[in-house]
Amino acid sequence: MFILPWMKANAAEENESYNDRYCTTCHGADGRGNYGVQAPRLAGMEPWYLQRQLENFRAGLRGVHPSDIEGIAMRPMATKLTDESIADIIEWVGSWDYVSTENTIEGDARAGAQLFTQCATCHGVDGLGNEALGAPALRGQNDWYLVTQLKNFKQGWRGNENGDTFGQQMMAMTQMLTDDAAINNVVSYINTLGRD
Amino acid sequence: MTRFVTRREFLNLVGAVGGSSAALRAGSALGLLPVTKTAKALDLFALGTNSKKVAILGGGLSGLTVAYELGKRGYECTILEASHRCGGRVFTVRNGDLIDEIGNRHYCEFDDEPHMYFNGGAARIPSFHNNLLAYCKELDVELEVFVGENNNAYFQDEALLGGKPVRIKDYKTNVRGFLGEMLAKSMSEQEMNEPFTELEAENLLSIIHSFGDLREGGEYTGSSRSGYKTGGFTTHGVQKEIIEFRDLLKSRLGGRIMTASEGEQGPPLLQAKDGMDNIIAGFLRVVGQEVKYRAMVSAINVTNNGVEITYDQDGVRHSLNVDYCFNCIPTHLITGLDHNFPADYVKAMKYVRRGDAYKAAFQAKERFWEKEDIYGGITRMNNRSSSIWYPSGGIHKNKGVILAAYNFQGGLYHTNMTQEERIESHIKDGERVHPNYRSLVEKPVTIAWHRMNHMLGCAARWNRSRSGWTAEEQLMFDTLQKPVNGRHYVIGDQITVHVAWMESAIQSAHWAMEDLDKRVRAELA
Repeated sequence: MFILPWMKANAAEENESYNDRYCTTCHGADGRGNYGVQAPRLAGMEPWYLQRQLENFRAGLRGVHPSDIEGIAMRPMATKLTDESIADIIEWVGSWDYVSTENTIEGDARAGAQLFTQCATCHGVDGLGNEALGAPALRGQNDWYLVTQLKNFKQGWRGNENGDTFGQQMMAMTQMLTDDAAINNVVSYINTLGRD
Repeated sequence: MTRFVTRREFLNLVGAVGGSSAALRAGSALGLLPVTKTAKALDLFALGTNSKKVAILGGGLSGLTVAYELGKRGYECTILEASHRCGGRVFTVRNGDLIDEIGNRHYCEFDDEPHMYFNGGAARIPSFHNNLLAYCKELDVELEVFVGENNNAYFQDEALLGGKPVRIKDYKTNVRGFLGEMLAKSMSEQEMNEPFTELEAENLLSIIHSFGDLREGGEYTGSSRSGYKTGGFTTHGVQKEIIEFRDLLKSRLGGRIMTASEGEQGPPLLQAKDGMDNIIAGFLRVVGQEVKYRAMVSAINVTNNGVEITYDQDGVRHSLNVDYCFNCIPTHLITGLDHNFPADYVKAMKYVRRGDAYKAAFQAKERFWEKEDIYGGITRMNNRSSSIWYPSGGIHKNKGVILAAYNFQGGLYHTNMTQEERIESHIKDGERVHPNYRSLVEKPVTIAWHRMNHMLGCAARWNRSRSGWTAEEQLMFDTLQKPVNGRHYVIGDQITVHVAWMESAIQSAHWAMEDLDKRVRAELA
């Protein structure tokens, strides 16, 4: 008999169980990133970087400026996380294979290459990042996300909180990107670095 | 009784907008209503001994409609639902239910009684949404009247009479009186030879007099339509004082108050008895066995002769190969899946913006509104919480559930707050109408559609200009409505030009199934 009385089905839902593995609703299947809700790629992200950002969101060092629209959406989720859930999420994210992203930003990659020499100091000439300097990989991240974050840093919408040491460095560094075109150029260059 | 606006001022006002004909034109500018049709009996080809497999992505109303109709014709349907429940934005919360907002999941703690529920999404059925109503009848879903218009409810605006709540009947009666007087005066002072005949002019004046409840000579001196100040039953009624026209005009919401119960939100409205999700339950009584819950789609690959779906359930990756796929996942979430859709299809999905409607509700410890002659209906406030809805059912019981806030266009305002801040905001807003509100309400729930797990949005927003759709937007809509390879259909109210209604979700499903039917008939002919 497949016809269930509805009230009974509802009763079974009482205290519906859950865990904190919410990531893929926003960040896409296997954490590939989702332009539709402006949630970046998590697959392939360094565990130490992911941990630091989740902790920053939780501590109110990121996602607090009213103009950081996506950060504000992220923060309530992170606020609920325990150290154990963060560890669990990092393990889960680590299980996803990286698949290459599509390029969506148009800019002058040659001009961007000049600008990137500054970025390379910390993020490496190949854009692969440098854990010792606290700098994450840039290549292979969704380009629209990089653009948003560079703009956020430049405006002080990210990186402006006391205690966000790395963010404050990024705020200072992004001042060299004089306009939106410069941001598009440097991201276009990062796109040429590719990632398999 | 002081009258601040003289007859001459009225006439000047009329003159400024070009006389009565201009006023009449303005008055007829009601919202656009979709064409009323009788419910469509779908004439779909029955497969007989042929076998066709269908995947339905998302157990929202459009998906369930497809499962129900195609199931009748012999299609083998599988519904993949990412969350723990079907219904999507047809969502009724009761005691113990999970509100799975990302970052703010909470459980409903209303008393466990049939009338103690809250429709957090769909909440009204216009009487001409015929396809939906036909399914309610066919699926034995009991309906009752939803009281939306209640002239005893309040209108509250800090700009109006020092923020004192005014009964909607008092506002409307007085505005109509002054408008009627204005029209009557302009009529009588104009040459009536054209465009009206004498009889027409006489009848028009009669309508205007009735509209405004005017005295002889076209004067508005108050009306008993909004009730008496005292008496009226065993003693003669004493008329209320007029609210002065200038005072009525202080609020920017006047137009909304005058027309809030017109068109699609006008009476009679209906609702499913004991909660709108009984419509979903009706469908599930038939197709419930076809639903896989907590089954989250990760990939959609459209091939020349079918669709390959990949989904995760219980930590295991599954694949499902079908002939056809009907997809009611919100477009802004489809873009995060692995897929091989054509570029113009993806472009359209990326273009659509997600709605941010927000609702909240309280359990009321007592039915305080009934002590103020209010039975159902909507109080309207010029603040961010916007509305208080009093329940249509549960009359004279001990407690009830009221809607404490509804913000359809600007829901991010409350969404961006913590749960505590949201609740405090609604209490403060509600106190402007019901002074003891804070002590009368408890057990809040908030529904921030922009953050609800597996949905992340309310009604789709196709057009970015208030003046309508651009040609590019129409082209993108047409692209997304059409199937990929004749195999993959995006459905739901998101693929209509009239989003946010259940009827739209159903009509979208019907459109897609009729398109499929042509292809199947051609193939099997």
